[in-house]
Amino acid sequence: MSVEAIATALIAAAILTSMPLMLAAVGEAIAERAGLLNLGIEGSMLCAGFASFWLTLKTDSVTLGLLIGAAVGLAIGLVFGTLATVLNANQVVLGLGVTLAGTGGTAFLFREVYGSDQPLLSGGPGRPFEGWFDWLPVIGPAIGDQRWFVFVAWFMVLAGHLFLVRTPSGLQLRAAGESPFGLEAVGGNVTMVRIGAAAIGGVFYGFGGAALAVVELGFFSPGSTAGAGFLAVALAMLGRLSPLRVALFTLAFGLLTGLDIGLQIAGVDARPEFLRMLPYAGIVIGLVALGRGVRMPRALGQAYGGISSRR
Amino acid sequence: MNPQSLCSNKPATWWRALVPFCLLASGMGLAPNFGSAEETTVDRVAIVTPASRTNQGWDQQGVDNLVEVGETLDIEVEVVEDAGYDDITPILNDLASDGTDLIVCHASGYQTVCPEFAQESGIPVVVIENPGAVMDDLIADIETQAQEASFLAGVVAGLETRSGRVAVVVSGEPPTWNYMTVGFAEGLHSVNPEATLIYQVIGEAAYDDAPNAKRVTESAIAAGADVVFGMGDGASFGMIQAINEHNQDLEPEEQVWFIDVIGDKSGSDAGQHLLTSVLFDYRGAYTELIQQLREGSFGEIHTMNLENDGVRLLPFAAFADPDTVETVDAVRVQIVDGDIVVSAIGDADGLRERLDELFPH
Repeated sequence: MSVEAIATALIAAAILTSMPLMLAAVGEAIAERAGLLNLGIEGSMLCAGFASFWLTLKTDSVTLGLLIGAAVGLAIGLVFGTLATVLNANQVVLGLGVTLAGTGGTAFLFREVYGSDQPLLSGGPGRPFEGWFDWLPVIGPAIGDQRWFVFVAWFMVLAGHLFLVRTPSGLQLRAAGESPFGLEAVGGNVTMVRIGAAAIGGVFYGFGGAALAVVELGFFSPGSTAGAGFLAVALAMLGRLSPLRVALFTLAFGLLTGLDIGLQIAGVDARPEFLRMLPYAGIVIGLVALGRGVRMPRALGQAYGGISSRR
Repeated sequence: MNPQSLCSNKPATWWRALVPFCLLASGMGLAPNFGSAEETTVDRVAIVTPASRTNQGWDQQGVDNLVEVGETLDIEVEVVEDAGYDDITPILNDLASDGTDLIVCHASGYQTVCPEFAQESGIPVVVIENPGAVMDDLIADIETQAQEASFLAGVVAGLETRSGRVAVVVSGEPPTWNYMTVGFAEGLHSVNPEATLIYQVIGEAAYDDAPNAKRVTESAIAAGADVVFGMGDGASFGMIQAINEHNQDLEPEEQVWFIDVIGDKSGSDAGQHLLTSVLFDYRGAYTELIQQLREGSFGEIHTMNLENDGVRLLPFAAFADPDTVETVDAVRVQIVDGDIVVSAIGDADGLRERLDELFPH
């Protein structure tokens, strides 16, 4: 097998495996822009992943599975947003609660539904552009042979970016995180904007969890997110809450993760623990190096009590 | 409860009334447990596993086997799963307060905490791969000499590979996996020294990291491996799914085959491309341990090997070459007879040295 084929496989794997993480991180970037720090991504992804897997297995339709995953994410996002804004619940505690409940709840449901079986999906989403870019060495097939939802995910990232920076609603959303009092002063409804942002974030987490289960893995197992929800928070911050930057950093993280696999195949004499550490060290270094000039939304993580509370 | 304990535990007034009966009973031979031949009662046994009892790997095999032994011996079995690798002393204390007679600490990661607990509480425990901790009446050890069965798996891989490239994918480097990796590599080398062995570690204790397991296996397949020996527990499903997806729409001769460990997945979705599996069977060891505890001879090292069928290969898939089956049977006899000695290397550095000797880059 040629080096080119291995490189193609590693890049293709990086694009595919970083996709669920990318969706989750972009969703978090949108929520944080509105002032909501959601640490419940892990739980949301697991719930969406389980629902998605269950329905895909029942109906043999990946599309339906992805949609139910998004619906579950939306529902959890709405609950999170409502509790964090209407009841002013502590966002950190609330998010961790969602993660704990999602982790335990999906493990319980999985056992109840499947017992000790581990069903696997066969097939998976199609590859509509297979072979189209084979003229471009290494990268061409790595991109062209992806499953259709990978392209949808990148389209969602682009749409999220345009929504944030080019639309009046996006401006309101950013104002809710930057200057909620200012938003209310010009007639905006901070509570509704934040609930909306939580819902949009929830849809991204839901698609991310569902994509992990039915597009990337082809199965669901309890805890299969393996900390992706928390990585998403770090990557959102690394990308300075800009969806496009977040997506690119996530892809870079995926490529770094693949580096250790490539080095192992090449027989490089290094401890695998060290190689595995590289992408995470990259995040830490990136946060330190790039994070110095970063200013997070002023109202991030803070409850909003309305203009009257300021008097 | 035997007559002796009945007599000694009664209040004073009862005691006086029962003395003549006890003397009479012992004189008539109705109290067989009097004296030094007393048998310890074992009514309740517990097993603590680090991960889920449904992971179709290490944890599930241990639990399923103990439950089966419990049903056979009419013993209550309590299962504590998902205990993780942190300090499990609170769990052990809880089991002790529930009147557990024996605790199986089903992870090599419990090598320190369980022996300490046994010495403090006096409750017998079973540890894994820790022969140095063995203590009379208190601590027994189970050694899984799976390198022998893995040697056979390596022979299978060496004979069945078409590309000459074979991958070993592991979810960590605990002693159990390392023994098996070395055994597999030696078996592969014995029949196909020209083969290329691709050794890949998913991560440190990545036993349930199915996403990365899938990714690593995909890269091994991209590197040309057509037989994958996977040790993963929950992570195994990532490996299996990578193979299933790769094999889709491919002719049988182009497909990649999987060799699993510990459990039998042949009847499930995961068994489509399963060549064979290195099976662990704890039933014999558990039965013997409980019997020894009852008889007062508890505290030995129990070795699961090819000879006692504690480890063995799952019957081969139909697509395996019949000649391979014959060869493996012959090699098995040679191992049991001692004509072939398989290295037992449990540490990661030793493992790498051995792999470099067998398959230099």
